[in-house]
Amino acid sequence: MINYFSSHFATLGHEFWGLLVGGVANGFIYALVAIGYTMVYGVLRLINFAHSEIFMSGGFASFFLMKWLIGSSTPNAFESVIYLLAGVIVGGLAGSAIATVLERVAYRPLRRRNAPKLAYLISAIGASYFLFNFAAKEFGRINLSMASPFVNHTVFTIMGAPVQMSYIIIAVVSVIMLVSLDRLVATTKLGRSIRAVAQDPETASLMGVNIDRTIVMTFVLGGFLGGAAGYLYGLSFGVVYTMGFTPALKAFTAAVLGGIGNLRGAVIGGLLLGIVESFSVAFVNGAYIDVVAFAVLVLVLLFRPTGILGERLGRAA
Amino acid sequence: MMKFLRSAQAKKLGSWLALVVTVTVMTGPPGNPTQPTLGFTSSFSERVSFFGLFPAPRGVLFLALALLVAGAVLAYSRVAKAPVQRARAAVVPKYQALAGKRTFRLSWYAVVLLGAVLLPHLVTDPFWQSAMVSQIAIYILLAIGLNVVVGFAGLLDLGFVAFYAIGAYVTAWVTGALPVAAPFHHHLNPFWAIPIAIVVVMIAGVLLGVPTLRLRGDYLAIVTLGFGEIVTIFMNNLYGITGGSTGSNQIPHFSIHLGSLKYLWGLNPVPYYYLTLGFVVLFLIIFSSLEHSRIGRSWVAIREDEVAAESLGVNPLKYKVMAFAIGAASAGFAGVMTAGQSFFINPATFTLSFSINILVLVIFGGMGSIIGVVIGSVVIQTLSMYLIHTPPAGFQNSDLYIYLGALLIAMMIFRPAGLWPSKRRRREFTDAGVEGTASIAGGQ
Amino acid sequence: MSTPMFDVSGVTLRFGGVTSLNNVTLHHNRGEILAVIGPNGAGKTSLFNSLTGVYAPQEGTITFDRDGSTPLSVIGKKPHRIASAGVARTFQASRMFPAMTAFENVKIGAESHRGFGVIGAMVKGPQTRRHERETDATTWELLKFVGLEQQANVLSGSLNYGARRRLEIARGLATNPKVLLLDEPAAGTNPAEKIELTELIRRVRDEMGVSILLIEHDMKLVMSLAERLYVLNFGSVIAEGTPDEIRSNQAVIDAYLGSTDTAKGGE
Repeated sequence: MINYFSSHFATLGHEFWGLLVGGVANGFIYALVAIGYTMVYGVLRLINFAHSEIFMSGGFASFFLMKWLIGSSTPNAFESVIYLLAGVIVGGLAGSAIATVLERVAYRPLRRRNAPKLAYLISAIGASYFLFNFAAKEFGRINLSMASPFVNHTVFTIMGAPVQMSYIIIAVVSVIMLVSLDRLVATTKLGRSIRAVAQDPETASLMGVNIDRTIVMTFVLGGFLGGAAGYLYGLSFGVVYTMGFTPALKAFTAAVLGGIGNLRGAVIGGLLLGIVESFSVAFVNGAYIDVVAFAVLVLVLLFRPTGILGERLGRAA
Repeated sequence: MMKFLRSAQAKKLGSWLALVVTVTVMTGPPGNPTQPTLGFTSSFSERVSFFGLFPAPRGVLFLALALLVAGAVLAYSRVAKAPVQRARAAVVPKYQALAGKRTFRLSWYAVVLLGAVLLPHLVTDPFWQSAMVSQIAIYILLAIGLNVVVGFAGLLDLGFVAFYAIGAYVTAWVTGALPVAAPFHHHLNPFWAIPIAIVVVMIAGVLLGVPTLRLRGDYLAIVTLGFGEIVTIFMNNLYGITGGSTGSNQIPHFSIHLGSLKYLWGLNPVPYYYLTLGFVVLFLIIFSSLEHSRIGRSWVAIREDEVAAESLGVNPLKYKVMAFAIGAASAGFAGVMTAGQSFFINPATFTLSFSINILVLVIFGGMGSIIGVVIGSVVIQTLSMYLIHTPPAGFQNSDLYIYLGALLIAMMIFRPAGLWPSKRRRREFTDAGVEGTASIAGGQ
Repeated sequence: MSTPMFDVSGVTLRFGGVTSLNNVTLHHNRGEILAVIGPNGAGKTSLFNSLTGVYAPQEGTITFDRDGSTPLSVIGKKPHRIASAGVARTFQASRMFPAMTAFENVKIGAESHRGFGVIGAMVKGPQTRRHERETDATTWELLKFVGLEQQANVLSGSLNYGARRRLEIARGLATNPKVLLLDEPAAGTNPAEKIELTELIRRVRDEMGVSILLIEHDMKLVMSLAERLYVLNFGSVIAEGTPDEIRSNQAVIDAYLGSTDTAKGGE
């Protein structure tokens, strides 16, 4: 037993920096998707089960864009940056678009009727299923690799662990988006509306906040980050109709880990989960990695359901 | 013009058009990634026969259908609605009065049962005979089990398929069809798998339920979903125990050797049908009894106001775990039935899509309403099998899930209580008394 | 007879930075009609919730003794456990089971304190049938007791305030309790209903032998009904005594000064 653990810890020690770097990269993606869950939960007290398809649609939209822009050619440095930006924006917009449609079709009619919580959940499951299988029908079931705007080479190494171009891009893009969102929520009028609705919808509407519009904007913002995350994920792993399922489940775990409803918590939860998951590669067989995330979810829900930072969107932290 | 575009009518028209376009693409030919727009464009441009008259592009056909339907709805609401409602108001109370009488209900059940018994003689197509067992009867069994969890106790279990899988694998295990040896190296008759599977599954249900059933509805759904996925991962990877992704293919069929009574269920689906039908009827009786017992009422109390129920001495966790365990037991039982019928089982059968499929049956039929769930299961499964057996142009088997997903959304928006809801559920979904008698009679 | 029914000693309840109950000591004697009054936010409902196990105070002890020989430590126990021990309660905003009829509401109460019987539920044997007949009979008696037998088949969601209060009382009584905690039973009722309610509460104590502990804002009702009172303010007990004693207690008058409730009555 001790031998088992010591050999695995030894592996962890050897691979530490490599695993850490990879874990952080995954963690950023989880963070971007977790934001979507956490924001929608904050204003609607509802888990948007279909967020995985928002992620997927960002992936597919940017896939087609990259195909059209790049095809099989190799862009130069300037074009790289432009295409990358275009991918992020188009992926994000696709995510926002699907999120808006989702809100309109699957959630708003239920809000109008004061439906019980169970109804929202079932509608969300239906929407998720619909979108996911629709994508399978229209785009096939094979994993498609995305034309990349850059060549993925090792840029530098930390303590012997290679840091790929893709990691850097994921990190940079994520940080920019997360910081922008944080500033938006903390300083702008829209951000204040979101926080107000998250704290107390009735009072917010009495104070003149347009609840419907705020909710739509929450979906738009969360959807943008989720869709962009789909693009970033697709660059490394390709796109396929099932791509949303596992990452979204893990992103949800990350959101709960950080404190559902808490934006900064989602980021911390995402990074933490990515790192923990990455380190566990040293201990368990690759096929069981998903079990690790699930175990984290169960443990958090059992012992600290409010998460690390606690449930709060109303507070900016 | 601008005023029109902003009006409520324009919005309605816009939604209607969006819906028509979605349906056109949904039912159209599949696309592919090298020509991403092919699926969309050919959904509109592919030529099909226009009401059997002449070939026309699909888009035109759907537009014509859309106009017809819109026209029919408008005509109904302007002309026929009032008389139809009057007719309903005259007939429905009489039906409800009759339905209240036990003899009326029992005679209906007898008729349906007779029909079910005679069915294999009326339907002799081998595809349908096999489907009746594995796609309809088994699904009914699963649906009424999930109905106890979702419908009676109000718990959303998305990992239901895991219990089904465990039941099937336990059967394989005790009959010696798994790489890991059967208990005591003694290969049992598959019928013995029934009590063993039920015990194993109930233990699993309790182990899963006790920590997680304290959680809020949404969290419970995700956790049960995760559990279902984890079980699948284990099934796929524990080659030494479960046979991995190839599963097991040596499960013996059901057989009875009791003195002079010998019977072997072979390849003919009909004997399986009767076996499963018998168990379905048994479970229907048990669950119906449960519904009208104090346990059933406690579930309703917990669903309607858990805090108030607690203040009366009702322990919510105990009752929720019980519902979970009972639902798990029926799923495990269905697993035994399935394993004893097919030669093989493998993890590919036990997917999340399967859990969702069962959920759709429960929601569509009416959660909490046993009759509704049975009717809903029969309707949807029969339609699904029909679509698979004689697929319309461009239909792929998995398109089914697109329709089921859309159905779930539509049900929640338009008729959340289900097709044939129990009275109580209809009350719960409409603010008490607001909807009045506008909906069609709910039988109970 | 000697030990009190509820013995609350040194209880302090905190939520984050807010102290809801501050070193509260209180006892409720068997057979007594006891009232807890105080301005809004004084901690009355928190006290109730502590007595029924919804909240767990950080300091102090609460002991419930059903019949003088079975003391039960309340803090840390789940609400359903305490309810089974003989503590029934009503809620400030009547918590009905809205899609159930009045009859069904009370019946749940009558059934829930009996034994288990899963098998009996699945296969309706003669014993199960007998139990059901008994609970049905108990339910009818209670509905008659509170005067709701005419509305037995009405959905509880469509009953008026006064009827809902009475239904909650009947439902609580169905669990065969020794004490009934009433949280602002007169809120939202008209003067005629208030008189009926006062009568009913007295009858519950006199005819059913159930002690009463109530929270109320309506001074007239409290003063006429209660045999003893505690006054809470900002989470602390500031006075205790008979209605006459409380009426003339300076601390109490000071606490209420400025609110629309006065010690002389009315609202």
